[in-house]
Amino acid sequence: MVEWKGAPGLSDEEITARKKHFRILVCIDGSDECYQSLKYAARLGGGVDADIVLLFVRPVDQGLRSGGLQVRVARENMLKWGLELPGIKYLKKGFDILGELGMMDGKDWSEHVVHTDVDGDPLGDNKTEYVNAKGKMVVLKLKVAPDIATGILEQWELGPYDLILFGTSGRWKGPMRSFWDPAVAQKVAIHAPCSVLVARDLDVGHGHLICTDGSDKAMKMARWDGEIASHCNCPVSLISVALDVEAEDEAKANVDKTKKVLVDMGIEVKETIVKVGNPVNEIIEAGPNYSLIVVAESRKTGLRRFFMESIAYKVIGNAHNSVMIVR
Amino acid sequence: MTGLKRVTTLGAWLNLYFFWEKKWFFIAMIIGALMLHMPLPQGLSPEGLIILTMSVVSVILFVTEPVPLPTVALLIIIGQVMLMGHDSSEVAKSLVTDSVLFIAGSLMLAVAVVKQKLDKRLAWLIVRMTGTKTWRVCFGITVVSGLLASFVGEHTVAAMMLPVGITLISLTSDDPKKVRNLAAVVLFSIAYGASVAGIGTPSGGARNAIMIGYWKEFFFDPTNPETFKFIVSYVDWMIHAYPMFLIQVPFVTFILFWTFRPEYRDLSRAVVKLRKTIEEEGPMKAADWMSILIFFLVLLGWVLISGEIGMGTVAIAGAAMFLVAGLVRWEDINSGVNWGVILLYAAAISLGLQMKETGAALWVAEAFLETLAPLGASEGFGLWAAVSVLTTGVTNTMSNGAAVAVLGPIVLKMSVVANESPIILGYITAISSSFAYLTVVGTPACTIVYASGYLKTTDFLKVGWKMAIASTIIMLVAAKVYWPLLGV
Repeated sequence: MVEWKGAPGLSDEEITARKKHFRILVCIDGSDECYQSLKYAARLGGGVDADIVLLFVRPVDQGLRSGGLQVRVARENMLKWGLELPGIKYLKKGFDILGELGMMDGKDWSEHVVHTDVDGDPLGDNKTEYVNAKGKMVVLKLKVAPDIATGILEQWELGPYDLILFGTSGRWKGPMRSFWDPAVAQKVAIHAPCSVLVARDLDVGHGHLICTDGSDKAMKMARWDGEIASHCNCPVSLISVALDVEAEDEAKANVDKTKKVLVDMGIEVKETIVKVGNPVNEIIEAGPNYSLIVVAESRKTGLRRFFMESIAYKVIGNAHNSVMIVR
Repeated sequence: MTGLKRVTTLGAWLNLYFFWEKKWFFIAMIIGALMLHMPLPQGLSPEGLIILTMSVVSVILFVTEPVPLPTVALLIIIGQVMLMGHDSSEVAKSLVTDSVLFIAGSLMLAVAVVKQKLDKRLAWLIVRMTGTKTWRVCFGITVVSGLLASFVGEHTVAAMMLPVGITLISLTSDDPKKVRNLAAVVLFSIAYGASVAGIGTPSGGARNAIMIGYWKEFFFDPTNPETFKFIVSYVDWMIHAYPMFLIQVPFVTFILFWTFRPEYRDLSRAVVKLRKTIEEEGPMKAADWMSILIFFLVLLGWVLISGEIGMGTVAIAGAAMFLVAGLVRWEDINSGVNWGVILLYAAAISLGLQMKETGAALWVAEAFLETLAPLGASEGFGLWAAVSVLTTGVTNTMSNGAAVAVLGPIVLKMSVVANESPIILGYITAISSSFAYLTVVGTPACTIVYASGYLKTTDFLKVGWKMAIASTIIMLVAAKVYWPLLGV
């Protein structure tokens, strides 16, 4: 993961504390998928007392598309009627879900409301921070940004975050349509500096399917995900795909090597799978039996990820179920 | 350093993300450079090629928005000085016309009107007239939004009516999922009610003012009485276009209820609560009456004297009256108007006039007619339909004012080549530019109601195509049957 160097307004202690904590950013848009991913985040974060930040990004109000009358005029008029900004309801619902899951138990929570002025939007960024005595943080954030993907990526800069979760309802657009207008989830998955979980019908009970090719990168990813999976008692399975029959033994060795690493960490491996064929197709085909597919991504920059069409990128774009890219 | 290492180092220095985000800017620039260096097409002057290139680049930038849109205006100004060799003072002068003054004045008026808090009075009027049945409330919203938008512009009405619509929705149910379709019919009643009305009068939208300006610039000759018909007055426009708006109103409600079947057929609960909220406002105050008086004075000014002093002068006089009466603060106007839009329209109109002067508009018009000829659409009704479809397509990808600014010169020249009435084709272009029902960015009213967070982009597609077909048919029937009765 890219090293986070702090954010304006944070003291050295706060920066250190944030780096120590496991921090999860859950993107909220009001869809069922986003609340499923929030429940999963609560499960992942529960065991390590992770910070959970619920983020709703509101595109900045601007008047070019509204015929020259700033949308803020309409927005201010709505506020005068006592109507809330879009997103507040969705964040409140997310907060209620965390409460129902016991994430906010205890009476030692303090509440801070923070407003940040944003150029071009008088209503700016607004957040409510809940911090308990152990320093665990739950944040509801209503952010303004030129577009939703940029808002999510900018939030990482203020973070840092170990994992970004967002829900998406379908598979992604093809390369041509992506070139024209990449979907929000697609843009974030390409450019985010940390691990990203794209939730599609995220069903929590079926465990993680970790894809491995035996490389150092894959081993590192397996360790990272193994630890995460252990926090939520999610079973772990391994898959390796050989391009042809000759490489099948090598694929099997890769699975065994990864299994050993996990077992040494005290993590039980439920199942190992070796397949022969196109890695992307085989992984996607095996995926629906699990809660999510876990793939490793290199340190390539966002554009290279798109142009080089890595296996991870193809899997996250075409899978029928949830996928986590580990960086 | 080896070649490979040099490339790698360069790659590390370049911020690829920046280039990726701005890709359409660079594509537009490359297309522009290629066009400027291609062999001169037959019948096109070198100046015409430059202006045509600037227009193509501007359209790409309008549609894809890789840079803030006012940047396009700045590039147009730079292009006119650097590529065309015009004097910079002359270019600056060409930017301010009555149409531009009108757009600026209307936007200032829009902010002033929204700030008067007359929305609650309007809401009271609607629920008093319509009762509590959902379809009647929606019809009432469409009528009131439309009547207002036909004079003060759809953005003003959308900004005023949006809280009314959202209040009705949220008072019906707190859960947005339970009122998905209700939200769609209520909010689209505001947006489409305002959109269909924007064609009604010249002050209904910037596009109308732009077309009136083009007619004058392209065809009016003070020494030739036959060209006086190209000075289209406020009332002339209303006589041609207002009936079309009135005919479209029931279609809006019908199409919306056909597409989205609201979960609640009766809004009694919400209407009762809304009435209570509105009644807390108490009786009308002196400031409210003053606002209404100024509004009617502006309206009278447009109808009676805009022919002599210009619609722009009336609009800015109205804004000045609001400021003098202390009904709005300059700070509110300053922050509520996006001045970049005015600059953008000014530059687009200036470019449109250059299209005419350099012969580029004529060249494109001839080429377009040649393409339409095999389809039997190079004259008469076929040409009208083709222009309407072209304008509808373009306006759904960019603001409708920009669409008219870009297409206007070409269409008006086409009318000359095809021996058609420039007035008819001008009306068809300006009116079709309001058929941007399919996208969020198509019309200001759609953008504003979308900001409520209740609608999805797919909702616009779901209902928009039906609206576009209905509006096109109504307009073409008017062009064929009604306008000839007016002697066009």
